Amino acid sequence: MGRAAMKLTRVGDSREIDAEVISRDGSMIRVRIGDRQLAAEFAPNADGGGILTLDGRRYAVFCARRKDSTLVSVGPASFEFKPAQAAARRHARGLAAAEITAPMPGKVLKVMVRDGDLVEAGQPLVVIEAMKMETTLAAESAALVKRVRVEEGQMVDHGAVMIELSPSPASSLRQSARRDA
Amino acid sequence: MYLADSVCTRPNGRRSSGDGACASFFDRTMERPFKKLLVANRGEIALRIIRSARRFGLKTVAVYSAADARSAHVGAADEAIAIGPAEAARSYLDIAAIIAAAKQSGADAIHPGYGFLSERPEFAQAAADAQIVFVGPRPEVMAALGDKVAARRIAVAAAVPVVPGIEGAELPAAREYGAQVGYPIVVKAAAGGGGRGMRVVDEAAQLESALDSAAREAAAAFGDGRLFVEKYLAHPRHVEIQILGDNHGAVIALGERECSIQRRYQKIIEESPAPGLGAEMRAKMIDAALKLARAAHYTNAGTVEFLVEGDSFYFLEVNARLQVEHPVTEMRFGCDLVCEQLRIASGGKVSEPAAPRGVAIECRINAEDPEHDFRPATGTVLHLSVPGGPGVRFDSHLARGAEVTPWYDGLLGKLVCYGADREEARGRLVNALDEFALLGVTNNAAYLRDIIASAQFREAKLSTQFIDSFFPGWKIGQPEIDAAIVAAVITAGDALGGIPPDAASIRPAAGAERRSPWDDLRNFELWGARR
Repeated sequence: MGRAAMKLTRVGDSREIDAEVISRDGSMIRVRIGDRQLAAEFAPNADGGGILTLDGRRYAVFCARRKDSTLVSVGPASFEFKPAQAAARRHARGLAAAEITAPMPGKVLKVMVRDGDLVEAGQPLVVIEAMKMETTLAAESAALVKRVRVEEGQMVDHGAVMIELSPSPASSLRQSARRDA
Repeated sequence: MYLADSVCTRPNGRRSSGDGACASFFDRTMERPFKKLLVANRGEIALRIIRSARRFGLKTVAVYSAADARSAHVGAADEAIAIGPAEAARSYLDIAAIIAAAKQSGADAIHPGYGFLSERPEFAQAAADAQIVFVGPRPEVMAALGDKVAARRIAVAAAVPVVPGIEGAELPAAREYGAQVGYPIVVKAAAGGGGRGMRVVDEAAQLESALDSAAREAAAAFGDGRLFVEKYLAHPRHVEIQILGDNHGAVIALGERECSIQRRYQKIIEESPAPGLGAEMRAKMIDAALKLARAAHYTNAGTVEFLVEGDSFYFLEVNARLQVEHPVTEMRFGCDLVCEQLRIASGGKVSEPAAPRGVAIECRINAEDPEHDFRPATGTVLHLSVPGGPGVRFDSHLARGAEVTPWYDGLLGKLVCYGADREEARGRLVNALDEFALLGVTNNAAYLRDIIASAQFREAKLSTQFIDSFFPGWKIGQPEIDAAIVAAVITAGDALGGIPPDAASIRPAAGAERRSPWDDLRNFELWGARR
């Protein structure tokens, strides 16, 4: 098995994870995460998952792929990872996300920005309602609102692009300053 | 102990005394037994009601929307009727469609569950008009208690303490009230619930906009923009009393439930008894709940909710239905509240219960992301590990292959543990959550585990501010993130090789019919499977 470093992101977390399997000897597996090396042991179970031992702790883990996602459960905790390339495109030029998409089908309750607005990281952009809950979607980084593609009261499908963002003039400046340094 | 007039038989004639958890002080007779029960709900509660109906030998009818055709409750019932498309407004909230389904199937009783139509007097009335028994309070009782302002009036008349406040919310009166009692105050919708149409007002300057926006939100959500204003209690506990009233004028209370741990005004952890609640205070609260129930001529199962601050308690509202968290009461009293509801609806009587025993704690496993503001999640269940052992109960409709859609609320299941004392119940619940695994739908199980394992929960530092005080911005622990990353890179590299037997069996056979139950698993690949 060749060594191939993977770049992943956890869904909902913009930080890139750089990880790879360094070596494998039977059930003993050495993995690098960033600059840390971890020794793990994996024993498959009849139920399709297995027991992962890491740092003296044993975890029941299950794993599956869905489209380009890798889904993992570790005990009661659940995770979704995506390849970093897809995320990297969005991160271009200092933007955490170039598009605000609907995380699920629902109804647009409120649109809080207009084309041309400058927004700060964390600023609420749109509120949608699904599963009897209101969900506020906020800007993950400072940005310029390029285009608002939904209006209040509209139904949206999962993944529908609701707002397009472009880098705010300020963050572009910071980026180019860093490149020059 | 049975009632003197109890004959201890079920409609099918079998003796019921001593048969399991339900046999205690409760009368097991259905006086005018019905034969077929339609369950006007979905998810875990529909399944749970069907199970209890079976204990009385009733036939059961499920109703389902297009999104739920393959849901567990559909398969569990004796028959199932499609009532409309996925949107709740055109299916589970469509009174005409559900009454038509009842007539079509010959059902002579309807259980509404919780949520959906359960507290809609028009639904109870429509059932009565169709000569169908409605398992719940009478429509006029439901109407009186469903309006928070009217319920407040009933409480005041019955000498039950209410949070100080004023009816109506004209700006001058509200302003005067705020000046009189001091800020913060809270604006609430008469028809409200779940935090909708509710605003905490910290200072006089915010009052006008709070009244406007609360009225607008309430009008949009409930079609009723009426408001009232109350003194804001900063760190109250939420404690509620379970009541059962029969059609002969008797009402009993089955202890309390502590439901202080909430996120977004929705309960996530409930327990009974309420930790540290003194016997005298409990007796006063039970007395208040019974006075209120009698004043309202309440029948069937209901819950009287109170806010508790220090040595004072205040009436909040009545939930005129079965509560989500009813299992904690069942475990302590050794009863089945749905059986009791059915028996009461058939004309049965209630009598004083035996003393409850032990401690029960429930947590709600929801399809939501606790790391991102509890954002709702959807997906297909790819794997489910259900905990077990003594004192562990899991009420859920989930199974591998089940779909969690965006159409309905995200309750996936209720994990309830019983113990001789609180530490035993808590320890069992922590262990049960550690055994729980759900792959395919983001959920709050690890979050609940961390809360229930925490020192703050162990020490019962309970208030409705618990989450904000002790678990703001909760994140999953780094060791578990590391384990997940290791699992992800191993899977990606297919380093483990081999196809576990399960992975092969879960994939559809070649040429399998397109609508096979495994269809939705087609796009998934379990651990180690190769394409």
